[in-house]
Amino acid sequence: MKTLAEILRDADPLAYEPPRSPQERRARRQMILDAAHASDHAVRRPLALAASVALAIVAIVLSLFQWSRTAVDVIAAVRFEVRLAEEDPAPGLREAVIAGTGRKIYLHPEPVVVNSDIAHAALVPGDSASTFGVSLTFNADAGARMRRATQSHLGRPMAILIDGEVVSAPVVRSPVSTSALLTGDYRRADAERIVSGIVGR
Amino acid sequence: MRANPAVAVAVDGTLDDRRERLAALFDAHEDRLYRLARRLASSADDADDLVQETFLRAAKSLRSVPAGSAREEAWLVRVLVNIRRDEWRRAAVRRRSLALVDVATITDDSNLESALIAKRAVWAALDGLHPRRRAIVILSELEGMNAPAIGALLGISAMTVRWHLSMSRRDLKRLLERQIGDTL
Repeated sequence: MKTLAEILRDADPLAYEPPRSPQERRARRQMILDAAHASDHAVRRPLALAASVALAIVAIVLSLFQWSRTAVDVIAAVRFEVRLAEEDPAPGLREAVIAGTGRKIYLHPEPVVVNSDIAHAALVPGDSASTFGVSLTFNADAGARMRRATQSHLGRPMAILIDGEVVSAPVVRSPVSTSALLTGDYRRADAERIVSGIVGR
Repeated sequence: MRANPAVAVAVDGTLDDRRERLAALFDAHEDRLYRLARRLASSADDADDLVQETFLRAAKSLRSVPAGSAREEAWLVRVLVNIRRDEWRRAAVRRRSLALVDVATITDDSNLESALIAKRAVWAALDGLHPRRRAIVILSELEGMNAPAIGALLGISAMTVRWHLSMSRRDLKRLLERQIGDTL
């Protein structure tokens, strides 16, 4: 049985990534000094420029304030897509990065399933009493589309996108047709938001 | 006496003075900051960005950076952890609303070697910790610092550090047991 320190040491990126070269470090040093220098010059420009910058900042703050009010609505409505994907680039495929992993994946141009293909979404119990998943049932057309798409895509990835971001890209092991389960260990409020967001668009 | 070159440089002086002070801060602390940043971030590029942003914040507030190597280090480490915390919060909002979904009828990629999967599981578990708590775990478990030293670096009490460590061990045990078995 390993201790926490041993587990962390085994997974420590500094232990298995190559050390940075002195040249890389010098380049980074120069970049930081130059950026700071440019920033210094920027703040020492004439007052008129400072005033216009201040006005711009006010405008940005105001727009952010407005955005923060509307962001609630954006989050509430979830744009859901399932797309076939490939591990390697090819003409017609769009490169994307899987959130939280940095791993690249290449998306087919057309989604297989979107919000309007979801006939029903519901809360389901998660792994623990306080967590929930979301079950999705496709309508008949989408189910048939999913089955056709996944049958010819076995062993290759399928990307799950929420609001345009690839949040997961599992490999298709068997054909998928009528339903899917999103297991994310959501809190109830988040799962409810996804349910209402997916079917509400 | 000029024990620390950074101390002797006027912080509110000319552009050259400011550049010299920033260069001195970089030379003295960049390696230490990168090591912490790399263990807080999910990639080397993210760690570089984190370190760069820390020094750019320092450049904007050179007057606020205290003199003395240990105090400089503590100031920079706190800024770095705070930047990471802000990123983590933004990502957490996205995670909660967008979620790290998986489709049960499709199994995830199992072609990777088990060691790589275990590493990913550990870092996924660490990603779930608040960056300050994660920093405390790293400083304690990987850098071997004791609670008073960590507290001094992060500007919190040793008791708070011990509490965070206790909570971290509990959270990591729960997360890692679920992902890579009964290892703790």
